Amino acid sequence: MTKAIFCDIDKCVNCYTCVVACKVKHMSPPYPVNPPLAEPKGINLIDVIQVGPEIHEGGVSQSFVCISCMHCADAPCIRSCPTSAIYKDSETNITLVNRERCIGCRSCLWVCPFGAPSFDVEGKLLLCDMCIDRIKECKKTACEAACVARAIITATPEEIAEIKAKKASQRIAQA
Amino acid sequence: MNEKKVIKSCCKGCHGGCGVIITVENGTVTYIEGDPDSITEGTVCTKGLASIQHIDNPNRVKYPIKRTGERGEGKWQRISWEEALDTIAGKMNDGIATYGANSVCIAQGTGRGANRYVNRLARSIGTGNVFHPGYLCHSPRLLIYGLSVTGYGRLYCDYHGWGGEYPKTQISWAKQLEISNADGEMSVWFLKALEKAKNLILVDPRVTALTQRATLWLRIRHGTDAALALGMMNVIINEGLYDKEFVTNWCHGFHQLKERVQEYPPDRVAEICWIPKEHIIKAARIFATETPGTIQIGEPLEAQNNSTQTIRAIICLMAITGNIERPGGMVCWEPPDVGIIEDFAYEVTIPEENQRTTIGAGSYKLCTARTCHADTVIKQLKDNNCGIKVFHCQQGSPLNWLANTKEALPALLNLEFISVCDLFMSPTAEFADIVLPVAHWLEHNDIWNMHPRFYVAAINKAVEPPGEAWGDNKIVLELGKRVAPKYWWFKDVEEMLDYQLRKGKITWKEFSKMGVIAKTGEEQTYYKYKMDGWRKATKLPFMPERKMTGPGFPTPTGKVELYSTILEDMGYDPLPYFKEPNESPYSTPKLYREYPLILSTGGRLPYYFHSQYRQIPWLRELQPYPITQIHPDTAKKLGIKDGDWVWIETPRGRIKQKAKLFKGSDPRVVTAQASWFYPDQPGPLHGLLESNANVLTSNDGPFDPAMGAPTFRVLLCKVYKVEEDEND
Repeated sequence: MTKAIFCDIDKCVNCYTCVVACKVKHMSPPYPVNPPLAEPKGINLIDVIQVGPEIHEGGVSQSFVCISCMHCADAPCIRSCPTSAIYKDSETNITLVNRERCIGCRSCLWVCPFGAPSFDVEGKLLLCDMCIDRIKECKKTACEAACVARAIITATPEEIAEIKAKKASQRIAQA
Repeated sequence: MNEKKVIKSCCKGCHGGCGVIITVENGTVTYIEGDPDSITEGTVCTKGLASIQHIDNPNRVKYPIKRTGERGEGKWQRISWEEALDTIAGKMNDGIATYGANSVCIAQGTGRGANRYVNRLARSIGTGNVFHPGYLCHSPRLLIYGLSVTGYGRLYCDYHGWGGEYPKTQISWAKQLEISNADGEMSVWFLKALEKAKNLILVDPRVTALTQRATLWLRIRHGTDAALALGMMNVIINEGLYDKEFVTNWCHGFHQLKERVQEYPPDRVAEICWIPKEHIIKAARIFATETPGTIQIGEPLEAQNNSTQTIRAIICLMAITGNIERPGGMVCWEPPDVGIIEDFAYEVTIPEENQRTTIGAGSYKLCTARTCHADTVIKQLKDNNCGIKVFHCQQGSPLNWLANTKEALPALLNLEFISVCDLFMSPTAEFADIVLPVAHWLEHNDIWNMHPRFYVAAINKAVEPPGEAWGDNKIVLELGKRVAPKYWWFKDVEEMLDYQLRKGKITWKEFSKMGVIAKTGEEQTYYKYKMDGWRKATKLPFMPERKMTGPGFPTPTGKVELYSTILEDMGYDPLPYFKEPNESPYSTPKLYREYPLILSTGGRLPYYFHSQYRQIPWLRELQPYPITQIHPDTAKKLGIKDGDWVWIETPRGRIKQKAKLFKGSDPRVVTAQASWFYPDQPGPLHGLLESNANVLTSNDGPFDPAMGAPTFRVLLCKVYKVEEDEND
């Protein structure tokens, strides 16, 4: 049951709820990493990036993109990791990190095309784990569950393709 | 032993009431998530989720303390609750005996759930001097919906489809319901209904998260909203696009309105609002013909010198398009059987004399129906000529929300006695004589009953508060027992909650398990004006008690009052009009030469609620410093680069924020973020004068004639770079 996180960039409203839902899920006590107050940038396993706005004749173009680990099928981070600290869960194909093995070399960051890797205060890799415990209980990921715009969807690639195709059909039909 | 429990509750991270599930392990909250089975469908926001770090925050106030040094010196001594409450009650009772009840002022900030306790406390001791920012936020729309349409009720956008229709056209007017502020629980309903809407019209001076989805974006000049609404009505009426059946049968004063809108032809409105004429005409036609439609309004309309008539104009626009009380339009929801919980406050009446002498009552007649006029209080205090001696602030920090901070601060210190309840040492708490520790919503039981009225929810205690902190409800109850025992007979908080639920024939314990009492779906009635009962059940505001029967709206004429007979009786213009902002290129051209940019101080972030939450690491790290949006062309002229610290200066003073180059607004406009201070900086001010936009706002009139609102959202300013040596 390979799943992917899909962000509908037309729907996202830039509210950062996914970012904080993720922190609550992964950094609540007893998790040891609590960023100190007013650090320039905390640890975000998922982030919202604003593209635009650009104003032109036809209107306004602007998007918000939620970026996290894409759990690539052929993940460059896994190939680059010198200690095999990054691996795939056999059941879900979710990319996971063995914290004990991670030496904090950050070569995963070099090769990740999405800038997804974050590092905790000890320099060790933190990565979206797609809330694997929740996925295995057939629950939505923390970010998807909280998303007020329903922009984040965790689903199989086939399901996501279907959602996109449906949306495109509506657009074509209305044109 | 690992003890784990799961509690369902209702988030109070803003005013809203999103259903949440809280996991508690060994007395610590370890997880918060949305409740998928709740009315908000599992959605939550950053503010509620980060509550984990709120309750565990090391800087919480844990015990009652009293001042031992000078005010603001930071010297405190821990005292018992009994000593604290006896002292505050003693000051209140002395004030009442010596100067009368109006010498005691009960204050709060934005509504954080204690509104009805605060108001009952004030009313039980007989003071009309309730002090809060409602007069520029939310009270205007409630009062004006009431006197124009609903009597005592409210108008909400029907995002629910309970009547079989969703809005076809949605207008979002000076509002970002999707991310910000009071009505958090409504954003999921709004966004779902938006999926079904054909048109979205945004009225906003800048690009927001929804602009690229809008059918039409009206980039309005700040403070000219009334002109736009009047201009749209000009088009709708003159082109005959209004709802003739509704207007003929159910609106009062159409002919007078028709005459008034002739002063606002699209050409003129285009010039006033800086919106292309074609856009105004198009918006009017869409809203009038693609019905049903809703208008979601926001606070900037209320925090200006013409708030009453701006909201009046928008109500008239809703009415002439036939969008009131129809499915998919603007509806006054009926409360469930427990009734309106807020009646807990308003069932207590205050002596007419005290109401009549509430500060500001002679001038701002709508404002003083609910509160005193805060800006007049500050002016009187400044001149040492104020009747208020004892100031009890149950929640909020007036020093943060009052206009013109530099004048408000010394003025407030002229009060004889100040007590403040808070979770943290806010700037106002730092200058108090006594500070009381307050429990977080995760730490005490209460009833949630706020904006949309169609449901109430249980706020269930999940964990013990730190130290000796108490819920607002308990603090007010124990204080009430000492100053007005006649109205505070409840043995404890539970008995007081039972009392508030009595109309629903349910106890707190039962309600706590049940979680929610709602009136939704087919239980709600549309077109209430066509039936008997609405008029009979409603008391008119600002009017002598009168019997009303038969169908119709609960207004003096029984119709939606396009021409307001209540405002007319009060001596105000019964018809809406536009007034130029106090400071603008047109009203103060001389000032504009020195301060050549239009400034809005209304910038909001999804993860802060007014001045709250900047001490929460998970939230603060998302944006540690305040940001002012400035157009790249303007920035270039001023030598400002993205990320530079800049001074923003008005005649009242200057503040620092970081420049963000932003193409989404007019180059003549800058948007500063509101409510900034730095809890991490040392007291007593915690950086209050450094970046708080209210250093820039004016507490001089003219205010809105009826609501007394000062102008927060449209000022003139100059912006220049902070030099490096100034930043140390």
